[in-house]
Amino acid sequence: MNNAFDTIKTGMNIQGTPFLPTRESIREFCEASLDFNPLHLDDEYMKGSFGKTSFGGIIMHGMNNFGIINKMLTDWAYPLGGMHRRLETRWKVPVKPGDTICPSAVVTATKKTKKSRWVTLDVDVKNQRGEVVAVGEAMIEFPEAV
Amino acid sequence: MAQSTAQNFEVDFWKDAELRKVWDEIIPGAPRKTQPYTLTLEAIQKYCRVVGDMHPLYFDEEYASNSPYKGLIAPPGIHILLMFACTPNDDWMRTPGTVNAGQSWSYNKPARPGDVIRLEARALDKFIKKDRLFVVHDNVFFNQDNEVICSGRGWTIRPM
Repeated sequence: MNNAFDTIKTGMNIQGTPFLPTRESIREFCEASLDFNPLHLDDEYMKGSFGKTSFGGIIMHGMNNFGIINKMLTDWAYPLGGMHRRLETRWKVPVKPGDTICPSAVVTATKKTKKSRWVTLDVDVKNQRGEVVAVGEAMIEFPEAV
Repeated sequence: MAQSTAQNFEVDFWKDAELRKVWDEIIPGAPRKTQPYTLTLEAIQKYCRVVGDMHPLYFDEEYASNSPYKGLIAPPGIHILLMFACTPNDDWMRTPGTVNAGQSWSYNKPARPGDVIRLEARALDKFIKKDRLFVVHDNVFFNQDNEVICSGRGWTIRPM
């Protein structure tokens, strides 16, 4: 029986690890994810207009945010015997080379179901100006026997 | 380029771009053509390094063997790689200028090195909002034992 679940309270904060995207890290993310969309590679292309949006240069993959949020959640959950079960995110502001971004989370609820125990969290990612670049929700499961 | 990740993958997304469906042609409910992908330890670890996730469950065989997972696994976010690895070159997911607006993923079983991954995918919905053309895509990844690894949806803004 894992008792870590009983120590988790609504309002608890979790801090992730700062991430510093560079042109090189964005290129490496292309290679590691096989997402070679020119949004992440081609400055000339990115000078154009995308409907109402103009980016002015390459941007980091939105899913790179997803990956650093995953890491924050598993770093928190693994030592407690928890399992990362869900993540939903929406991107609010593009992230560019030279930015520093950092994910964080807050526990919004705990819930026991018939067969397991769950923690829900609100997550966000902020840049060095304090702007929220991504928001979302997550679930961690704390099975009674791992 | 790590060949172990790429596996003959066409990295020029402009190539054959005219073959891909535009927003008007995408039918919600219609399956997307997909291709199987063999996930290697090298591809997992390359992804981990790029997002700065060096957890021993992904790198240290002895640590992982003694954990509840009984061996090396991939981090949950490996679907980020699997999405493109399982998507053929003529699919609209690879259309240049596709903007990711948000995603939701549920994780069931971890993927592992050597897994042969299969994707079942479709367009689920399309709509116009704030003068933008959206498509929602719906995806389930399975391993070689037909177990669900993870399932998820993505909201993309299509190029005009």
